[in-house]
Amino acid sequence: MAHSLSEECTPLKREYDACFNAWFEGYLEPVVSASSRPEERQKFAQEKAAEYERSCGKIWVQYRECVQKAVKEKGLGSLLEQARTENPLNDAPPSSPESSS
Amino acid sequence: MRFYSQSFLYDDPWAIVSYAFFMRYPNPLASHILSCDVISRTINPSGTLSTTRLILKSGALPRWAPKGIVSRAESWVIEESEVDPAGRVVRCTTRNLDHVKVLHVEERIVFQGTDDGKTAQTTEARFVSNFGWGLTKKIETHGLTKFKANIQRSRQGFSMILDLIRQSRMRPMAMGPSDSYTPSQYLPNSYDARPSVERAEERAQESKGGGSWLSLKTWRRSS
Repeated sequence: MAHSLSEECTPLKREYDACFNAWFEGYLEPVVSASSRPEERQKFAQEKAAEYERSCGKIWVQYRECVQKAVKEKGLGSLLEQARTENPLNDAPPSSPESSS
Repeated sequence: MRFYSQSFLYDDPWAIVSYAFFMRYPNPLASHILSCDVISRTINPSGTLSTTRLILKSGALPRWAPKGIVSRAESWVIEESEVDPAGRVVRCTTRNLDHVKVLHVEERIVFQGTDDGKTAQTTEARFVSNFGWGLTKKIETHGLTKFKANIQRSRQGFSMILDLIRQSRMRPMAMGPSDSYTPSQYLPNSYDARPSVERAEERAQESKGGGSWLSLKTWRRSS
């Protein structure tokens, strides 16, 4: 797997990526479809979010902290913040993973 | 502004193409990718997954570029993606964060699952320079030309990853002890913690079928 922007974070990144990929494989083959009722889709979302949190929550927090620190040290903070506000995919800011699970 | 667009049809189902897309780095044909990090990831209440990745790319400047046009030939790129498994759509936008006055490149990719089990990809890219000095058009055209030259190579690299995943899907049960960095303690028992690419790597090793599997496996391990 690719390196992290900071060598220090690379082992955490590898562990996190491996965990995410295992979860992601199941997430991509849902039993619900676009024609399913909204309640079913919501239930799917909740289950998947809970599963992700259970499997990868801990390592995600460690990896994210490491990257956030590296981003600050490299002086990329303001560059990123500006970019995030211009995210073309998000009309409304999404809730954080913690609050949606 | 220069604009580019292309569409492509994969014979593979959407879930496999999308999985490969998020695993496409590293691959031997993307040595310009120096680092790739997830900086935010959210599962939305509607069930879609939003991810932001920060990628560092290396690149060479053209010979005609004025000295000192950029401080270094590396570029930070941000990739924003949204995956909707129910609607079988991936939307992904990438754009450079620095040197934007020289050249701003924004690429939009959409993967849409088709009713007959294939995957349609559309790619759009915009090249905007605000450099001035009579070079604006030249820079934009250079960006477009480079992009067109690279798209074939990146598709090849992506195909290698896609092949690995196809192989692993043919043998869903993994064998042998888990790898050193497998986070098995974080996973429910029903999981094979390793990404399927690694399972494919193992398969390649066992069968001694060698070839591209083996070399890609070795490459990914050592990177």
